[in-house]
Amino acid sequence: MAEQPLEADEVAGVVPPEMAEMFEPADAPAENAPQRSGAGGPVILKDRYMLDTATPLTEFDSPSAKAYMVEDRRDLGRKLFALICSPEIPTRLSTIRKQKEDESPGRLDLVDWDVIYWPPLGQRTMAVIYGRPLGGRVQNRLARKETKITEYDVPRKLAEPLASVLQNMAAKEAPHRAIRADNIFFLDEDMTEIAVGENVTSPPGFDQPTIYEPIERAMADPTGRGVGTTHDDIFALGVTIGILVLGHNPVAKIKDDDLILARLDQGSYTVIFGNSRIPLPLLEPLRGMLNDDPAARWDYNEISNWLTGQRTTAAKKKPIKKAELPFSFRGKEYVSPRALARHFSEKIPDAVKAASDDTFEVWLKRSLGAAEMASAVNSLIQNAKFHKDGYQGKDEFVVCNLCMILDPSGPIRYKSVAFMPDGFAPMIASEMLHNNQSQMVGEILSHDITSTWFNLQSPPFPGTSELRANFSTLKGFLSIKEIGYGLERALYEINPSLPCHSPLIAHDYVLLIEHVLPSLDAAAGHADTNQRPIDRHIAAFIAARFDQDIHPHLKALGSDARDTSIIGLLSLYAFLQWKLREQQVLGLASWVGGLLGPAINSYHNRITRGDIEKEIPRLVRKGSLPELFDLVDNAERRKDDRDGYAEARAEWLAAEEEVRDIEGAGDERITKAERAGQQAAAVLAIVITLTVVTLLLILQTW
Amino acid sequence: MARAATRSPAKGPGITAWLWAGGLVTMWGIVSPSSLLIISLGMLPALVAYFCDRTEQKYALFCVGGLNFSGVFPFLLKLSDDHSFSAAMNIMSNVFSLAIIFAAAGFGWMMFISIPPVVASFLTVLAEARVKTLKSIQKKIVDEWGNGVSTTDQGAAAVVPHMADDEDAD
Repeated sequence: MAEQPLEADEVAGVVPPEMAEMFEPADAPAENAPQRSGAGGPVILKDRYMLDTATPLTEFDSPSAKAYMVEDRRDLGRKLFALICSPEIPTRLSTIRKQKEDESPGRLDLVDWDVIYWPPLGQRTMAVIYGRPLGGRVQNRLARKETKITEYDVPRKLAEPLASVLQNMAAKEAPHRAIRADNIFFLDEDMTEIAVGENVTSPPGFDQPTIYEPIERAMADPTGRGVGTTHDDIFALGVTIGILVLGHNPVAKIKDDDLILARLDQGSYTVIFGNSRIPLPLLEPLRGMLNDDPAARWDYNEISNWLTGQRTTAAKKKPIKKAELPFSFRGKEYVSPRALARHFSEKIPDAVKAASDDTFEVWLKRSLGAAEMASAVNSLIQNAKFHKDGYQGKDEFVVCNLCMILDPSGPIRYKSVAFMPDGFAPMIASEMLHNNQSQMVGEILSHDITSTWFNLQSPPFPGTSELRANFSTLKGFLSIKEIGYGLERALYEINPSLPCHSPLIAHDYVLLIEHVLPSLDAAAGHADTNQRPIDRHIAAFIAARFDQDIHPHLKALGSDARDTSIIGLLSLYAFLQWKLREQQVLGLASWVGGLLGPAINSYHNRITRGDIEKEIPRLVRKGSLPELFDLVDNAERRKDDRDGYAEARAEWLAAEEEVRDIEGAGDERITKAERAGQQAAAVLAIVITLTVVTLLLILQTW
Repeated sequence: MARAATRSPAKGPGITAWLWAGGLVTMWGIVSPSSLLIISLGMLPALVAYFCDRTEQKYALFCVGGLNFSGVFPFLLKLSDDHSFSAAMNIMSNVFSLAIIFAAAGFGWMMFISIPPVVASFLTVLAEARVKTLKSIQKKIVDEWGNGVSTTDQGAAAVVPHMADDEDAD
């Protein structure tokens, strides 16, 4: 788990190599003047802001986004910088929108944002423009001893403004989830006003080192730490205050894994600040803010009481559950079930063996005094034995549930991932798109693993009912295999900030539904136009982002019949262009037009087919998909074709019947012909007779 | 049908008809025994044709009988000069007379045998021409509507949503 702000070498495992250069250490000396690197040129955002690709501002880099100089062409004196987001990491789009609309004091001013082509990356990505904090990072200024924050300054200079802005943000937007010592800035050069840094370029908690995260979220993968609550911001605030006051991170040298084990064993405050000289006035506030029990952790009321000098409740320390005797697992001894759960999840086959052994049940009952836990583990093992051929009998499923029983408030640990339920969205984005673990994500949903976790929470996890409903919806999508549904649909439904990851348009960072057709139009220039301009990602993205009912279009698109499928594709894109009032899409029209063969051939009348084929180039030149659709699948023309076909068929069958009547008669026809000949001979004979008789009578008379 | 017609035995005249016929012939024999002799002997080929033709229509009877009568009729006219039985006997014992009568009947047989194949060939040519016309019509239909029109498959057309439907829904 990468717990520190991503270093260049750590980034290699998360993002493609070509983007690793973006993730250089964020903190550079504050006095670093903009340096021209000479890469690329200026990029214009919304015809106003000029982003200089050659002038990185490393002192404003975020762990997941590099900073570059920005010039406001309408206000040249304005100091701005842009954060260039990693295309591979989901951003917090709704927070970006809210922050842009609402100018809230105490946080960096989000001026504007857009998706732009960024030459150093060679693709489009999101750029977020901020007002430049003139005083730089608080941590850097303190480190250089250019200013000092004493324990007496903390409430007024640090805690009050930060708590105020965090409370305000939580009420208006969402918890900040990126509060850390290096993300606090001085807004002015005199270093009197501080502000929290950005929190939008990565998922909540993603950039946080583990010490800033409450223990249960710290144990989750960075992508799965979750949206969190104000309790999580308060924990991070407590750690931030402690580190800024001390001037250093007292546990910087301890490995993340050891730190988490120690925190599980002794409590977060004791491990992080227990051996540091925390000033006396800050002892109680930090203990309160770093309480590992979210229910007992200080809230903003307690902080307010502390800041205003009112009486505060002493931090109630919930005793950590420990066994009298240790349980030995793979040579190590554990007294905490939470620590044991963490290691069980790392050694799955061994964990199943250990849990199946009677000694484990005895240890839980007698040494830990957790008879209910022992009973739950026993039921789990029995259930696994009963369903040994089903997924309930699989080691991964058993260990996942075992960990939930041992550490109910900890993250869900399934196979290689650990995530909080409210962090499921960025987790599946990461696992599906970068680690190719779609099957595992599908199993999490189909096995109702999150449901089990919710059932074990006491008190209930915040937002449980909403999360349960979300997971139920996602499971519904998963059960439909057609294009436009499935895991891809779940991915885009639950990640509203995720750009479309179809290989056709991934380089265009298609974040909004309005960008789909223009991107496909551009892709027509370089894509293999023998392939369809759609795949499961694009269909799911449109279904998730488009506010119209496109179910009939998807149904047609998913048809096995090629003609129906291609008409479904055209109808979907035509509907998009029509509803979104999109401009002409010449490339896409040409691309789709070239694939319409099966659709044209679905007309029976070859003259109609010829007419349509002749008309297509004209409409392709207009770039109008609705007109193209109307040409190919005009209802009236279809009806005429159907009716004409029925008539033609009846006519053909009538002719066929007559031909068969003539040809198929055989002997009967010959007999009929002979009979007709005999009749003719008889008639001729009568005529001759009458003529002869008449002539003879005439001659006789004369 | 033709086979049925040939196979089904022609329902013979009833006894009343035979009695009437017998009465008439007796009357005819009393009034004009000479003409009865010529007719009864001269029209023997027609009688043979009647029995040979097992069809219901009895075209052979019409064909042979008609021309047979043409051969007999001139000799019936001769009786207008001498209506005696001996004159009739002279006619019927004359080889030349008999030759004329039976040659006429033979010509009838010849017509009955030779005309049907000619007519059948003519009708076949007409039928072939009709078949050619029909197949040409079928080819034109297939050219315009495709091979599907000549199969039992209805060739279901694509069912896709229409934007007009969406517009209505709005």
